[in-house]
Amino acid sequence: MAKTRAFVFKNWIMTKRNVFTLFEILFWPLVAFLSVGLLTEFAALQPEMKAFILIGVIAMSAVQVCQLDVAYALLYDVWSKAIKHGFAAPVGIRHLLFGSLIVGILRGGSVFVILVIASYALFGFNFTLPGALPIALFVLGLFLSAAMVGVFVCILVLVFGNRAEVAAWSLTSLMLLLCGVYYPVSVLPVWVRGLAEIIPLTYFLEYFRLFYGFPPIFSHVLLKGYVMVIAYLVIEIFAMKAALHRAKRTGLLLKLSE
Amino acid sequence: MNFAIEVKELHKTFVAGWLRKRTKQALRGVNLSVPEGVFWGLLGPNGAGKTTLLSVIANLLIPEQGEVRVLGNDLRKSAGAVRRRINLSSGHANFLWSLTVKENLEYYAMLYGLSGNKRRQRVEDLLALFDLQEFARVRFEELSTGTKQKLSLAKSLVNDPALLLLDEPTVGLDPDVAHRIRDAVQRLHRERGTTILMTTHNMKEAEILCERIAFIKDGRIRAVGKPQDLKEELRLGDTISIAFSGTVQAEALRSLQGTYGVQTSDSLCRILVDDHRKRLPQILDFFMGRQIFIHDLRIQESDLEDVFIAYTK
Repeated sequence: MAKTRAFVFKNWIMTKRNVFTLFEILFWPLVAFLSVGLLTEFAALQPEMKAFILIGVIAMSAVQVCQLDVAYALLYDVWSKAIKHGFAAPVGIRHLLFGSLIVGILRGGSVFVILVIASYALFGFNFTLPGALPIALFVLGLFLSAAMVGVFVCILVLVFGNRAEVAAWSLTSLMLLLCGVYYPVSVLPVWVRGLAEIIPLTYFLEYFRLFYGFPPIFSHVLLKGYVMVIAYLVIEIFAMKAALHRAKRTGLLLKLSE
Repeated sequence: MNFAIEVKELHKTFVAGWLRKRTKQALRGVNLSVPEGVFWGLLGPNGAGKTTLLSVIANLLIPEQGEVRVLGNDLRKSAGAVRRRINLSSGHANFLWSLTVKENLEYYAMLYGLSGNKRRQRVEDLLALFDLQEFARVRFEELSTGTKQKLSLAKSLVNDPALLLLDEPTVGLDPDVAHRIRDAVQRLHRERGTTILMTTHNMKEAEILCERIAFIKDGRIRAVGKPQDLKEELRLGDTISIAFSGTVQAEALRSLQGTYGVQTSDSLCRILVDDHRKRLPQILDFFMGRQIFIHDLRIQESDLEDVFIAYTK
């Protein structure tokens, strides 16, 4: 428990102390949200189309912020060149994942709540329409997706070093393109749709939009989303262990501390 | 005898580059046994493999070949159990830059599984032990090099380790701070009986602190022993320089017990002996017996630096 708390403690203090993390919660998500929201107004979209797009923006912003925290669990140590001290301690990948995810959920949850309120106040969009359980299932799916992306960034950093830190910001942009955030995946070329089908976020977005009158393209979206995201997380935990072992074998872990 | 560290036939090669691979053999069959409770020094020139060996023992590097047992555990099978009982401190310390001294200590105490009052007490004790209370609320990025180093040592004690690995703990520090760090390390070893394996380039430091020394060069251990034994093994000895009036027969001086060599000129002779404490009386007897008047006498002891130079040649 104390080891998991260590990662909560670290991420929380780093969040409090650094202005850029405040920007991540307030500035960028609100800018993106307002830009897209105003565009829907300008385009005079029907309420259901507006809902389609705003759901995507809100979900993506929450995922982006939450996954950053999971990636930061490793990146803060890499940037401080203190990574060897962390891995010299008797901690496991699970401590890193759960600890950082708790802070990620707090930060991503804050973004989510802020944007839900803003969407109602500014654009008259009622996010609570589907009810408590669908919202809870949707939000849980988002945070699990975020954890999946964050761990993937950690794996890349342990394999490729500092060069891979750019993945912390670029992976979610790729998801933005593939998962049908601003448009349904049906508009994607068939071969790209294949990629969308292997990303759990696609299914969670499809599930939630169902309550706003958009029938899903795929079947059993919630089940597929959860099975996929949990399977990926389990695979990633083993992959991260292997990546850490490799970093110890190649000397990358020490190089990241120099 | 129980060993804190047992290393057998350890090999570690680094490979760099993707297309054009470059390899560097850092360790080439290292064998080392460090008994529990001993302050052990690991000396060698730059690139000899000191930090690599320390990193393998700390489970931060995985070797291709060889066996490493730490505190009775096979490092390959029980790395977690080993990491719980060891800790390390490096020169040029780096920690989370935005966290204060106290927060950094709390963070690492948590990583080692300490919680609640036990953690709070431990952190307070370490702040007191290293005179860090006045810096408790100062962020790491704002600390001086010496204070960062103290924090590094304090962090290395959060889990009260049975084995402490110190990688050049006083490098880059001014003499006063280095002296205080050495004092703290010596006190720690004396009072807690912690086994310490320390790498250093500072021979005086090694001579003051270490009970046993291992010399490593080109990834191989070249010599192991007490500092005095190493000097004797190399027949480095001490030099006794005597300015005199009269005539001295060099051959007669050479025949004295424990004498490695004699150089004489008109009024000065240099005698290389194994240990000046043992040999000075007989040399004085030699001069007085021949009624040779001594004007001046100087003794120059060989030190670890001479041993270092001899082994790194």
